[in-house]
Amino acid sequence: MIKPTIGELLSGVATGLRERVLPEIPAGTTRRQIQAAIGIIARVALVWDKTAPYLCADNEDIEETLGRMLPVLERVAAKEGNARIGAVSTKLRATFEDSTQPAQPFPSAEVLGARNLELQKTLAEIQEAMHENFADESADRKELKATLYALFHRMLTRELEITRPARRP
Amino acid sequence: MNEAAGDAVSILREQLRTLIHAQLPSAQSIEVSNLAPLTAGNTRNAWSFDASWNKDGSTQTVGCVMLRKAEAGQLETPLIPEFEVIRSLWGTGVPIPRALWIDPEGKWVERPAFILERVAGTSDFPALLRPEGAEISRGVAEHLVEVAARLHTVDWKARGMTFLPATTAETAAAQQIEYWESLFRKHRMEPHPMIVGAFIWLKEHQPVAGRITIVHGDFRYGNLLYEGKRINALLDWEMVHLGDPVEDLTWAYRALWSPASVMPLEEFVERYSKLSGIPVHPDNLIFYRLFNEIKHTIISLTGAKSFNDGRTRNIVIADRAATFTSYLLQFLDWLPETHLRDAL
Repeated sequence: MIKPTIGELLSGVATGLRERVLPEIPAGTTRRQIQAAIGIIARVALVWDKTAPYLCADNEDIEETLGRMLPVLERVAAKEGNARIGAVSTKLRATFEDSTQPAQPFPSAEVLGARNLELQKTLAEIQEAMHENFADESADRKELKATLYALFHRMLTRELEITRPARRP
Repeated sequence: MNEAAGDAVSILREQLRTLIHAQLPSAQSIEVSNLAPLTAGNTRNAWSFDASWNKDGSTQTVGCVMLRKAEAGQLETPLIPEFEVIRSLWGTGVPIPRALWIDPEGKWVERPAFILERVAGTSDFPALLRPEGAEISRGVAEHLVEVAARLHTVDWKARGMTFLPATTAETAAAQQIEYWESLFRKHRMEPHPMIVGAFIWLKEHQPVAGRITIVHGDFRYGNLLYEGKRINALLDWEMVHLGDPVEDLTWAYRALWSPASVMPLEEFVERYSKLSGIPVHPDNLIFYRLFNEIKHTIISLTGAKSFNDGRTRNIVIADRAATFTSYLLQFLDWLPETHLRDAL
């Protein structure tokens, strides 16, 4: 089945609930719960079909950024003799070499989501490792932080399209 | 009202009568009337009622509001400190409802609850944010400055509020970071590297508090009962703690409910410092603006997790994890380090 898409179906359900059901419900707790449910269904309707492309773009961006960060991280680990950053760098290199992302051209949202969680975890670990010795603000560290924050900004901007999608005209 | 709901109201009415009798053993002919639900908040359900009783030959009637713990919500905070703070602040000039009775373990009304005297006014804060409400909003904002100054200059030690967890000027920010980070680690459903980074930034930029005061913790339009341009009561004390008062000032100016269109933050701070004698350092101001974006993020995350775990079926908070993307973007946009901002 292609039509209606899941997004279209959910959108129709939200509209039906809003136009046919909600007017029958008096003000109060029940009405507020129904309104909230309609809001959620309407949001999910708008993003359902975008989830896999969103995850795909997010994963690609994070991987590309981590790839650029890796030599800088290795340099910081070597210069500072920082074992924790060294361990994170080694793990990161291994992550690239043993990527769990399948070679298939159209991975499912579930597979993409699992990869996204792995990448998120790596980003968290890098920051925690850097925080252990944060007094030393070298140029390399500044570059790593700026790169991370720029990545976060791109990730959040992308996420807005999922969490607060523009309504259909 | 359907039959089941009517029965529930009758049962609650009787429970309230028993509760009042336990609190006022010498009262006779206790009556509870006009019992009706007010709202179903995210953490507290509110009920309005009138209580009357005879004592020493005369009849007393009090309009009451009961706040009863809801099922799991966005935050799970104990009722006793909240109630005791409200009770301790009575008579200080901070507009608050009078604290009447508490059922801390839900012995009488099934779930933990406390009862306050009903205060007149509306809590309709969207009306204050609409252009046509600007004149009233300006008046309310002016009174809000006075309320903040009054609250933050209350001698909390003299008022016996030493039951609140102790803090110092040096540790106030760290304690708040630790508290909210512990909730984050408990309730996150994915690694959230941006939030991890935000907590690290906060830890690396903790300011020293200019003064340790009572901090309301949810000080904003939306937690006020106002009539015209006057605030009759400051509500929702569940996040009250001792700390840096700048936390309250910056919380009031979060984008969701900010009165900035009728009073810019700079003017609010200037008036506040003049009234309270408490200087507001720019470092504290920027720190708490950033901190509050993360605090609200964690509140939302906690609500989403409660729903996801099935500890609440309140649909209103089900999708809260989708709300904080903009808070995190705001955090990034307010970062003071130019080399980080320039990279965005």
